[in-house]
Amino acid sequence: MTTYPKIVALVIVLAVLSRACLLAQVKPRFEKPILLTSAGQSADVTIASTLLKKAQIESTVKSLAQPADLAGIRTLVIVAGYSSKGLGAAGISRDEEMARVKALLAAAAKAGVRVLTMHLGGAARRGNQSDDFNRVAAEAATYLLVVKGGNEDQFFGDIARSKKIPIDVVDKISSAVVPLQAVIP
Amino acid sequence: MQAHHARALLLLALTAGFGYLAGRDFGSMHRPDRIIPGSGVTQQTTLSRYSPHLLGASGETPVYILEGKKPGGTLAILGGVHPNEAAGFLSCAVIVEHAAVLQGRLIVIPQASWGGYTCTDPMEAYPQQYAIPLGEGERTFRYGSRGMNPVDQWPDPLVYLHYPSGQQLSGIETRNLNRCFPGRPDGTYTERVAHAIQQMLQSEDVDIAVDLHEAAPEYPVINTIVAHERGMEIAASAVLSLELEDLQYTLERSPVRFRGLSHREWGDATDAYAFLMETGNIMQGRLRGATSPELLLTGVDPMYLKAARIGMVKIPYDSTGVPLNVRVGRHLQGLRALVEGYNALHPERPIGITQLPSYAECVTSGIGAFLNAPEADPSSTSGEDQ
Repeated sequence: MTTYPKIVALVIVLAVLSRACLLAQVKPRFEKPILLTSAGQSADVTIASTLLKKAQIESTVKSLAQPADLAGIRTLVIVAGYSSKGLGAAGISRDEEMARVKALLAAAAKAGVRVLTMHLGGAARRGNQSDDFNRVAAEAATYLLVVKGGNEDQFFGDIARSKKIPIDVVDKISSAVVPLQAVIP
Repeated sequence: MQAHHARALLLLALTAGFGYLAGRDFGSMHRPDRIIPGSGVTQQTTLSRYSPHLLGASGETPVYILEGKKPGGTLAILGGVHPNEAAGFLSCAVIVEHAAVLQGRLIVIPQASWGGYTCTDPMEAYPQQYAIPLGEGERTFRYGSRGMNPVDQWPDPLVYLHYPSGQQLSGIETRNLNRCFPGRPDGTYTERVAHAIQQMLQSEDVDIAVDLHEAAPEYPVINTIVAHERGMEIAASAVLSLELEDLQYTLERSPVRFRGLSHREWGDATDAYAFLMETGNIMQGRLRGATSPELLLTGVDPMYLKAARIGMVKIPYDSTGVPLNVRVGRHLQGLRALVEGYNALHPERPIGITQLPSYAECVTSGIGAFLNAPEADPSSTSGEDQ
């Protein structure tokens, strides 16, 4: 191969890589109205609600949101993490909650509602019981916002890479306000 | 006298001697712990004030009231609902002995399950007493049992039916105060205590009620604030506030269908925002080794170090353990955060507490620094304002 084709090939490779990097860094923008719900019924949904208020972002909170609640909604914020007490408070089983979450995400995809998935509970909301909900919610996301303690093993990082989902990992729950303001202007 | 008569008399004397020593030991558990109220305490009463059915019974646990000069909200704090969870009781003791109120009121019951302090749980090898080091000397307190003393309520049924829901639980739970709310005035001893506490929350117009607990490190609901649904916003605000102090808490909603729990029944039947806080107590863990007063103070256990290495522990755990100073500090900082959250939501009826030790102060100085020596002048103590 002569020098000229080598240069062309190099330019193409660099262009492709640059595009990939650009895509990875470009954060999506989410529009209002916003519906905030849980995947796993942890009370982290209340913390997310407090964060949105701090970010001065209006939202409607429905821990047990159903597909019908998506009417008129442009963004679904889903907070992942299992809680047995939360399921007890909601009066539903784990299987019922999983069926609800899957139906809601399917309806969101069909209606073109963008999904912002948050994981705020750190290591306490990881493990066998939580990770099914974490995976389902993360894989359906347009954008992932995760507190570091829940991603020490790159659980969310790996999903973000394999599904090409932009992700922000913050050190603390309270640090999530700034990225929220960036993606929900 | 024949030889076998002499041997029999000797054995009888020895038996009587051991019986006397054991009886004296058991009897010592009925001597109340000494709490030395600080200058912030404006009134002292007992729980029977709220339910005459407890008059003369061993449920007449002390109630301390700290009232500020300015009117405001009322915070009720309960420790010792489970007397084997020492951090709750000691947090209350620190408040009674050291804190003061600028605005509103604090109502503190350090040993809610008074009867549970007169025994320990069988088969647990719990110590009867433990000592908290002060600057000079030490203060000794009783380590109790999870439930009330069977002497006050016996026998346990095979199945405990919660009143009024009819919920069925294991028979032993009939003596567990945190399964007996809201209680009833003519029920079992534990139900009568629960009823009196419920009456106190109502008659004192309590705005925010906090139940302080501890749990085994392998228990999933730990380093946690459990909140009644009406209090979720306050609790979420508290979790964020605590995180800024590098204290990680999870937030849990009080289950609706699990009846008898403080946060559920207080929140349902009174106007109070109801919360329960948990810290990690190695003494309650199933995996622990030697059980001693030292373990209670340090929280360092080699078996739990192994358990932590294989991911069996639900809280951060290393060779520094989970000392009692840390656990009391977490409770006190958690209380500050809940009060901050409440004040933000109710600026028209705020609660202002002063000289409430922070987490950092408890860890660096030790909780003994905030307990009064018997001969000390409590008014000379100082602390950080909230």
